Amino acid sequence: MISHLIGHPLRFAISTLKITCLAHLTLSHLLQVSPAQGPSMLPTFAVDGDWIAADMTARLGRRIKVGDLVLYKIPIFASQHGVKRVIGLPGDYVSLGTPGERGEDQMIQVPEGHCWIVGDNLPASRDSRQFGPLPLALIQGKIIGKILPWKDRQWASDGLLKIDSK
Amino acid sequence: MALNSIWARIRGSSGPPSLTRTTMLNLIGFATWIPVIAWFNLHVAELTVIDGSSMYPFMNADRDSSLRRDVVLNYKWSPQEDLQRGMIVTLRSPFHPETIAVKRVVALEGDVIKTKQPYPVSTVKIPQGHVWVEGDGPPGSSLDSNTYGPVSKRLLTGRVTHIVYPPKKFGPVRWWEHDRPLVE
Repeated sequence: MISHLIGHPLRFAISTLKITCLAHLTLSHLLQVSPAQGPSMLPTFAVDGDWIAADMTARLGRRIKVGDLVLYKIPIFASQHGVKRVIGLPGDYVSLGTPGERGEDQMIQVPEGHCWIVGDNLPASRDSRQFGPLPLALIQGKIIGKILPWKDRQWASDGLLKIDSK
Repeated sequence: MALNSIWARIRGSSGPPSLTRTTMLNLIGFATWIPVIAWFNLHVAELTVIDGSSMYPFMNADRDSSLRRDVVLNYKWSPQEDLQRGMIVTLRSPFHPETIAVKRVVALEGDVIKTKQPYPVSTVKIPQGHVWVEGDGPPGSSLDSNTYGPVSKRLLTGRVTHIVYPPKKFGPVRWWEHDRPLVE
């Protein structure tokens, strides 16, 4: 197989192109592992040095539930991506403000095709409280877990607590 | 080397190749191109069939009299950059994530635009990273920014640059000739 490529520059270039495209499609449509940065998801993810895996088959908000962590395109910037937690889906009522601050009792209903996302570290997060409901079409994938550092590896949890019915 | 021996087995060791083996090798050879074609259609260009009447009468002009639909060239390389008022773009509908819509860009980031029915307020300033898109048809015929408001540029998937079919309309889209005043 190696001898099939060595000494044939055109054949080698075409094979490289095919493998690059296959890798690109795998990363954008199946599974992506990428470093996470920034303080907005403390304490779930550290400010720097954590690597997370995302299930890209959940793109466009497919099978997304309240509590899921999502990788999304930041709607107000040209090329940046973010990770936040979904707390409202179409039809849900959410607070426009921050708990414990003025304006927390202002509610809106999340419109059709949108979701409401916030960071786990509310004071240091740019999220739906600034740019409003996020179109589900901007969701690229669902975070399935933290991979690095290896000793802290874990599956992502939705952070929801069961209410005691008694 | 193990890899070499597998390769030798696939290629066949000796003798004239059988029809089955040749066909199979051709099919595998074609399949290896599928990722390249998919990547090209996702990020460079794609021929798209226009459904629906939201760009009537510019596209699908005989929507009521025939089943024929227009085919356009959708250029997908960095659709967010160098946007101009009047350009025709394709975007993921904010209300329906699985649907691709075709609309005309009417206002860019920072513009103040006079809205149409059924938008609740009469003028809007387009926020950072957003655009205002509208269909060409009469009011009410298109689900556009007058219903869902300014849309993020990140929702754009491509730009309609050429009409391919029908032949009498073949050629570049002359978007600069379109004029929709921002504020009347």
